[in-house]
Amino acid sequence: MIAVESLVKTFGSFRAVDGVSLEVAAGEIHGFLGPNGAGKTTTIRMIAGLLKPTSGRVTIAGRDLAREPEAAKRALGFIPDRPYLYEKLTAAEFLRFHGGLYGLEGAPVEERARELLALFELSSWANELVESFSHGMKQRLVMCSAFLHRPQAVLVDEPMVGLDPRGARLIKDVFRQMSRKGVAILMSTHTLEVAEEMCDRIAIIQGGRIVARGTVPELLAGGKDDKLTAVFLKITGGSAFQEIEL
Amino acid sequence: MTAAFPFLLQPLFWSARNRARRRERGDALRAALFGGIALLVAAALFAVALWLTWQLLDYEELGDYLIRLGLGWLFLTFLSFVAFSALVSALTTFFLSEDLRLLLPAPVPGARLFYSRFARTLAQSGWMVVAFLLPVLLGLGLARCAPALYYLTALLSVVPFVVIPTAVGTLVTLGLVSVFPARRARDLLMLMGLLFAVALVMLVRFLRPERLLAVQSLPDVTAFFATLQSPITPLLPSFWAGESLFRGLRGELDLLHLGALWTTAGALTVLTRAAYGRQHFTAWSKAQEARKARFTRLRALEPSLRLLPLGLARRALLVKDLKVFLRDTTQWSQLLLLVALAFVYVYNFFVLDLDKIPYMGRQMKNGFAFFNLLMAGFVTAAVAVRFVFPAVSAEGAAFWIVRTSPVSLSSFLWSKFWTGLVPILVLAEALTIASNHLLGALPFLKLLCAAAIAFMCLALVGLACGMGAEHPRFNAENPTQIAGSYGGVAFMVLAVLYLLTMLALLLWPALTYVGHAFSGLRLPPRTQLLIAASLGGAAVLSLSIFLVAMRRGVRALEALG
Repeated sequence: MIAVESLVKTFGSFRAVDGVSLEVAAGEIHGFLGPNGAGKTTTIRMIAGLLKPTSGRVTIAGRDLAREPEAAKRALGFIPDRPYLYEKLTAAEFLRFHGGLYGLEGAPVEERARELLALFELSSWANELVESFSHGMKQRLVMCSAFLHRPQAVLVDEPMVGLDPRGARLIKDVFRQMSRKGVAILMSTHTLEVAEEMCDRIAIIQGGRIVARGTVPELLAGGKDDKLTAVFLKITGGSAFQEIEL
Repeated sequence: MTAAFPFLLQPLFWSARNRARRRERGDALRAALFGGIALLVAAALFAVALWLTWQLLDYEELGDYLIRLGLGWLFLTFLSFVAFSALVSALTTFFLSEDLRLLLPAPVPGARLFYSRFARTLAQSGWMVVAFLLPVLLGLGLARCAPALYYLTALLSVVPFVVIPTAVGTLVTLGLVSVFPARRARDLLMLMGLLFAVALVMLVRFLRPERLLAVQSLPDVTAFFATLQSPITPLLPSFWAGESLFRGLRGELDLLHLGALWTTAGALTVLTRAAYGRQHFTAWSKAQEARKARFTRLRALEPSLRLLPLGLARRALLVKDLKVFLRDTTQWSQLLLLVALAFVYVYNFFVLDLDKIPYMGRQMKNGFAFFNLLMAGFVTAAVAVRFVFPAVSAEGAAFWIVRTSPVSLSSFLWSKFWTGLVPILVLAEALTIASNHLLGALPFLKLLCAAAIAFMCLALVGLACGMGAEHPRFNAENPTQIAGSYGGVAFMVLAVLYLLTMLALLLWPALTYVGHAFSGLRLPPRTQLLIAASLGGAAVLSLSIFLVAMRRGVRALEALG
């Protein structure tokens, strides 16, 4: 459903993403891990159509993002790490606007918006300005918008940031349910427990390159440890621990 | 233990220093343009003050009286200006600044924090007044060959004079934020300020100062001065500053009024400090509380826009743009001033008796129609840089929503273009048609000007929209900041060049036609051809600018990283 082939992004002489290839099948939850500055967000932004790749190809639901951007984006739902929204719109107006961008209007989309607002516990805030929302509420509203047009693939950058445990639980349930319905989910995260718990497959990126990939048991099988954190630190070279005086 | 309060101002200086070191594209152009304008304004103020004082030297006592009256008015105007400016600045410095979240949890004594914020408020609200006063007082002093004591008095009176309204403004802000949430209070103040400006413009216009030019209204002049005298009361700091400066001009040191200025400034600062100690933390905490905001629902907007022949995505963008615009006071409030100025502009033609103005013959009237066209062009450019140029940047950090949606960036930019064009075209056409009608211009000229302004709107709105996309500032705090950026300045330079070229292309054909029309001669075929070529050239130029700018804008958005 999401196919990334030899994706490269350079900023001047710096190669932020260096030949990344990924494939996320329908119904699969695919984790995308890596330390800070490894190229995760740059890759995600290229798949979302926010950044032009230097070379390589992104396909969503069989549509080439460069050649048919509108068709490819229509099949995708994007949840960024920071929920910047139009502060002077109400939640309901924002969802109506979002629906309009995806060519949806009328009673079915209004009904869908109501359902999603109820699912993400925002019904009582539907007619309030976004500027009065907390970070977590904005994040939940972004999720409503990402699912509003029933996307075939969902791209998530750090889904748990700013969410309370209840919100985090809800998101996990929603993702699982969507995956069961055949939606492909590519999720970038720092929370290794979440990745371990939810992802069918995981790719680890470092220095702009994929350095490991496979299912959680496959990744764990490579070493002696039984936790993904230890494997991650070993692969990314972050296991060195220096004591500091506190 | 933290250092004294100037330490808290250091990040400001460091930021300014770092900004100055890190040159950005367009810095030189912006500095040259704004610096040039500032120097010109200062030179003009200096020249006017010098000339006026020089002229008044001939009238001895009356001259002295008028200088005293003038100083009183000058300081009275600045007093209200600084007080209002301090009201708005104090909201930001004491309540809305991001760095307060860092400073309040730090072990900084309250007094130090207060004095650092007060110093910032003082600088923000007073710098413009000081910059205006400097050339005026210098011109006044030089024309009167004032002694060094005058310049010392100027320094000694201007400093406390700026402190007083700043302290009053800060006090009022502390009180206001105790009642209203900080952001709501800012919106209210912005609106009040603009309504005040609109009222001032209307008041000055309805006083009909042109009556003073007529000899038969001489008795009115004395009444006029009596009216001017009335608001200058000895209880206001503006009077004290004016008086001490006037005495300084004569080489005398006015200790009474200088003393009044300094003691009042000191007392008000202490009072504000005390109010800060009592009120600030409560008011600050209140400003942090998330609450459901009050806003206009605009329920009729969507059903009305459904009547327009627009695609779903375009309509969604239009609804969103209009709602965001109408709900944000900082975005629409300047329209009030614009409408007032436009009204006064047209009203001038309504009340001016053009036939009594010397040399205002038929030819001049029609020539004036072109001046009118140029003015309407400038108004269009000014409105475009303030409202259309920031349209793309106004998406801010939320632009990802449009960029990840299945809407092409070309559709997005064209939506911005049409949203800007329609109201600007209506305003510009209304101004041009109404003023040319009141002027009594020839029908041909009326038609030509109406068509020309339509083309100008197309070119200027297209240029503003395209350049706004080429030079976006997504992290700007307000539209004024975007309009004043490198791209905004470059747009204004190009707009002025375009308007002058248009004038050059239109003026000759129009004057030739009017000349022949008044003399009753037919236009020779060759001249007709040249007129058509010139007018065609103007149309082609406008269309080219519009199309090229929009294309470049779309390409820039597509290449955005």
